[in-house]
Amino acid sequence: MKTISAWLLWLWVSLVILGAFYYAPPAEGFQGGSSRILFFHVPMAWASFAGFIAASVWSIRYLMTRDLRHDRAAEVAIQLGLVFGVLATVTGAIWARIEWGAYWNWDPRQTSILISLLFYGAYLALRGAVEDPEKRARLSAAYAILGLVVTPFLYWIMPRLTFSLHPEPVVNAEGKPKMQSEILQVLMASGIGFTALFFWLHNLQTRVQALAERKSAAREQGYGA
Amino acid sequence: MLQATSVLAKPSAWGSAEGWAAEVIAVFVKDWRCEFRTRYALNTLALFALTTMVVMSISLGPIGIDRTRGTKVLPVLLWVILLFSVSAGLPRAFIQEEESQTATALRLSATPSALFCGKLLYCLTLVGALELLVTPVFVTLMNLEVISPALLVGTLAAGGYGLAVGSTLVAAIIAQARTKGTLFSVLAFPVLLPLLLLAVELTFNAVAGGGGGVALPQLLLYDASVTVVGLMLFPVVWNP
Repeated sequence: MKTISAWLLWLWVSLVILGAFYYAPPAEGFQGGSSRILFFHVPMAWASFAGFIAASVWSIRYLMTRDLRHDRAAEVAIQLGLVFGVLATVTGAIWARIEWGAYWNWDPRQTSILISLLFYGAYLALRGAVEDPEKRARLSAAYAILGLVVTPFLYWIMPRLTFSLHPEPVVNAEGKPKMQSEILQVLMASGIGFTALFFWLHNLQTRVQALAERKSAAREQGYGA
Repeated sequence: MLQATSVLAKPSAWGSAEGWAAEVIAVFVKDWRCEFRTRYALNTLALFALTTMVVMSISLGPIGIDRTRGTKVLPVLLWVILLFSVSAGLPRAFIQEEESQTATALRLSATPSALFCGKLLYCLTLVGALELLVTPVFVTLMNLEVISPALLVGTLAAGGYGLAVGSTLVAAIIAQARTKGTLFSVLAFPVLLPLLLLAVELTFNAVAGGGGGVALPQLLLYDASVTVVGLMLFPVVWNP
């Protein structure tokens, strides 16, 4: 079953890639095919965001149950969220170079994602600085929840401080997607694909981490005996 | 029967509230007593802020920076001074408990929420004293004209409160980690960043002559939400 779902995921993402280049037309008003980065950039940003939200939920669950499995799930979600976040930032910067003429221009979304990445980087730094697993889980869960409360402020503040050129065809004030149906279909398919990819990687990584922890625990016991 | 229980319940509820307040004050008084023994935080905060201001003032020249550029730059400098002074002195509030190994005694004797509020009160008085020292000196040294002083005072109060509450919570977290000094800046700056952006915006409005706008309610909302989340998370951070 697990192998089948992994193959299905592979097939789905391959179809999305093909669809992004051969099925969807280039969006109007953009230079050449530069709009095609949308099919990867937006789902990456979405997966990163989903990872950070999921990590907060796991942190809350850890504090409620004190089950270290939730702590591990939160840590892995943040690691993967950072990976997807960096990828979204880099793809966004490449697109910004083509469309706006500069890789970085402190667009509100660029700034917000950068600060979110700094915050979750700090989370990993905190984990690195505490040795005891229980204490590490407790402190980092508290910090992740603090982040959930503090970072939304940036989404109110930043648009007031800097001018935005960021296109908003999907998430906009009217609440209706403004794009051609083929583009929207591929984007939605890609969003589903990246979300599944995120949770597939998450599942793999938590299992790897659990095995590594068990191995080091067994080694310590071996030395003790 | 119902009346009787409510009458009976009242004094005990009041009693526990009084006991809680007494704990808060006891922690606050203890912290200041310890502080006056070494004057570590006071000396660090005051000297750090003064040195930085002297360096800035010398670099900007005897008559300061010209008016148009000054209104843009000086609010940022003021909050940078405050932030760095705070991060030099405030983490001490919790690190000292761990280093002198009094944390366990404190865990046994005080309720977490009372301890958090006591420490917060201590940090708040420190930040207040720092702002009382820094702001007048900064305004005079830099020849800064403040068009609406009331807004500046309000911003300093709300921003200082936010600095204190955010730093108190982060200090409680880092005190239990290994690399305490550097970790505080790494953890606290992303948390305090929204607060600083709002405070700088409001200080700019106070200097240039604009109203509070939406930034002031947002700053107050930040303060309130960090206080609430701090009260909720502190027992988890503090108790093993």
